[in-house]
Amino acid sequence: MKTNTKILRERFERVEGSRNKSGVRDRLDWSLVGALLRKQRVERRFGFTKGNFDAVGFILRLALVAVFVAVFVIFFGRFAAIYTTIKTNNVPDVTQRLYELLAIAYMFVLVLMTVNSVTAVVRELFLADDIKIFSAMPVGAKTLFVAKVVSIYRSQLLFALVTVLTVNISVALVVPQGVWFYIMTVLLCLVLPLVSIAIGSLLALPFYVIRQFLQPRFALLFIAVTLLAAVAFWLYSIVLTAVKELLLGDDLRYFFNAQVMETIRVTVTWLYPANWMACFLLRHEMVRSSIGIVLVLAVCTAVSMLVIRSILTRALQARISGDENFIYARQDVAPCSSIFATLFKKEFVQIFRTPSYMFSYFSVALLMPLMVYFCMEVGASLLTKLIGINCNLELALFLTLLFSALTNVFCSTNISREGMMFYSVKAQPITPKQIFMTKILFCVLVSVASQLISAFVLGIASYVAWPTALFIFGIGSIFSFAQICFATRYDFNHAHFSTEDDGEIKESGNTVSTIIVLGMVMAFLIGGAVLIVRMMIALRLNEVAQSFDYLSYVLVSVITVVVAVLSYLYLITRLNQKYYEFSGGGLM
Amino acid sequence: MTYCNHCKASFQDNRSLCPYCGRRTSTQAEFARDQNEVVRIKGLYKKYSKKANWAVTNVSFSCYAGEIVGLIGHNGAGKSTTLKCLEGMLPYERGEILINGHDIKREPIAAKASMGFVTDNHAVFLKMTGMQYINFMADVYKVPTELRLKRLQSLENVFQLGNAIYNLVSSYSHGMRQKVCMMGSLIHHPKLWILDEPMTGLDPRTMHAVQEFMHRYAAAGNTIIFSSHALNTVAHLCDRVVLIRKGQQINDINVKQILMTNPNFDFEEYFLRNEN
Repeated sequence: MKTNTKILRERFERVEGSRNKSGVRDRLDWSLVGALLRKQRVERRFGFTKGNFDAVGFILRLALVAVFVAVFVIFFGRFAAIYTTIKTNNVPDVTQRLYELLAIAYMFVLVLMTVNSVTAVVRELFLADDIKIFSAMPVGAKTLFVAKVVSIYRSQLLFALVTVLTVNISVALVVPQGVWFYIMTVLLCLVLPLVSIAIGSLLALPFYVIRQFLQPRFALLFIAVTLLAAVAFWLYSIVLTAVKELLLGDDLRYFFNAQVMETIRVTVTWLYPANWMACFLLRHEMVRSSIGIVLVLAVCTAVSMLVIRSILTRALQARISGDENFIYARQDVAPCSSIFATLFKKEFVQIFRTPSYMFSYFSVALLMPLMVYFCMEVGASLLTKLIGINCNLELALFLTLLFSALTNVFCSTNISREGMMFYSVKAQPITPKQIFMTKILFCVLVSVASQLISAFVLGIASYVAWPTALFIFGIGSIFSFAQICFATRYDFNHAHFSTEDDGEIKESGNTVSTIIVLGMVMAFLIGGAVLIVRMMIALRLNEVAQSFDYLSYVLVSVITVVVAVLSYLYLITRLNQKYYEFSGGGLM
Repeated sequence: MTYCNHCKASFQDNRSLCPYCGRRTSTQAEFARDQNEVVRIKGLYKKYSKKANWAVTNVSFSCYAGEIVGLIGHNGAGKSTTLKCLEGMLPYERGEILINGHDIKREPIAAKASMGFVTDNHAVFLKMTGMQYINFMADVYKVPTELRLKRLQSLENVFQLGNAIYNLVSSYSHGMRQKVCMMGSLIHHPKLWILDEPMTGLDPRTMHAVQEFMHRYAAAGNTIIFSSHALNTVAHLCDRVVLIRKGQQINDINVKQILMTNPNFDFEEYFLRNEN
């Protein structure tokens, strides 16, 4: 006969057992998803509250997007006009051309969105700090995944709206379309992020594994990302060459000969699911296309859910336990060095050992000469053909300044990326001059090295004479100095420290947009203005154009030096007072 | 006989004002005490923004060589704010802070050179190894090469980071970061050591070792100021305790004196009574 205790114990175990069983099952809890989304909304709103909202930076960001969209519409519209008239076997086939054009464009957008969603999924699911908190809460992996994916979907939707609408409207302006096309464009904008997130979630795990492997191997990571970016730039140069052909008119039609057109036709048949989307929009094979899209969505979502659910908890636990195996030279007690040297070394270590910083600065600085070379290759022949005069100096100058402006954008987080350590260093016996000047010198050295390689490439490729290359190097260096001084002080005035555990700035803020816009404006003002003046002179006063050579040198030198002096003054004005009175950045 | 603290001049008569600088003179006893004064906070007022309430109101206290002073108070009382103002991290609206006679506002570099600090969030460069961080601190405070290894070894005996010192700080646990912060703050052997919640995250053995170290460090003539919620630790360690409530200084009590007269004095009860 069972005693009362035994019966009670059995009953308890039965109840607990069933409770545990239901607890282990990872069910999607929609109320919890709602709570997580509300949390994200509150965090997002914080950036728009009074005192935290940078209106100027926000408007500049919008302006930057608007400029890119405008440039894209002009070029893509013109390209579409030419492409849709291309004949195969002497027969024009507008619908087929349109299908190819849209399929390739959607594929390109989808690839961009997938890359973006892979990094977003990894960031939100494996690296975000709030995940650490949730891992200790009764929040299932599935619930967490859905909540995070919804927030990723929002940003992807915005990207899809900007890109797909731009592409479709450009196309519709060339080949007028019916209501169906516009309705389906909106539907496509809603579906495309779902596809990109589903594929992205699937690729997130391998990406995370590769990232975990490369991250501690700093030098290997540097080589890998730099090579990858070099390949991307090389592909971009091919696009630039096509743009050149496009601008030169007939050459583009010659480029798309029968063989190329056949290759495109075959390639497009393999561009799943972008070709299905294009088909659907053009009301062509609609049943097959819609089934294909739904299938891709369903399979990718199911598999990614399965993968994420099975690895998320383990990945988080590994992260929390901090079992990272970093590889670097072991260093013992070092001999005494000056504050300047030690701050310089600190700056290098902090950047080189943070993958995102390493790429945005060292890799981009190393790749800048490559970009100048690619653009020079396209631009030099284009300008010579268009206006019949050699404007290599002006063009080289313009490109050098433009790409150095983009490289030095990294300096717009010179202060913000210090995070909490900004205050710690403030409490140490280091003067603000030492802190700021070390940062300026470090950035200037990286930039000058990049300029030197760029000038060398221009010289060796015979685009400009060696003395001219030297002149471009000098102007580029002074311009970089000006931008770095301005960006550093601007960031200090608008510092926003990261609240992430690792203090890393993971998203570009309004300061970054401001510096990009200002850098580009200055590059246009210095390089572009000279180029335009030179072209005007060449076109109107062809016979005396050569005697105006000196004008470019004088104009550029004067403007650059004035800008550098003004930037330096902006940097040092009331720096000491502002530094000691500083308590901003959102951490204190 | 009177003395001028500012000009360091002495006068045979009992004049109340210095003829050179016009400041108030001190008596012999006052002068001797002032010479030992490491920290002087006088009428400190701090608010985080123009519209915000005062975070610290009229806090005044001094610390002398060889003393261990504890700052206690509830969460958000103003302990950390006071310490951050003292460290020069935060500006303040009114008042005066002198460290070893140097005004933190007018002579920040000289004032900061003689102090070491450990913040409540263990801020440390995450992408450096523990050793690189300590080397960084040694460079900043200009510690001669020959002294570094010796000091590091003695600090290692207390904090026992072992081989982890060669690992990246980003891979450290909370307690290990605290340890490397403490080691970095002591590498230049500061006359004043400021710690914000120093025992948080430390294991019991290290906590004991740190407490022992604090006693020895203060006995060698250095001053320690720290904030804590652990009243037993405060009672065990401190010579004096400054109690802060809602940004205001409530009391400045001599712990040793109280314990001498009343060995059973209950600090927890005293704290709770004053809190309310």
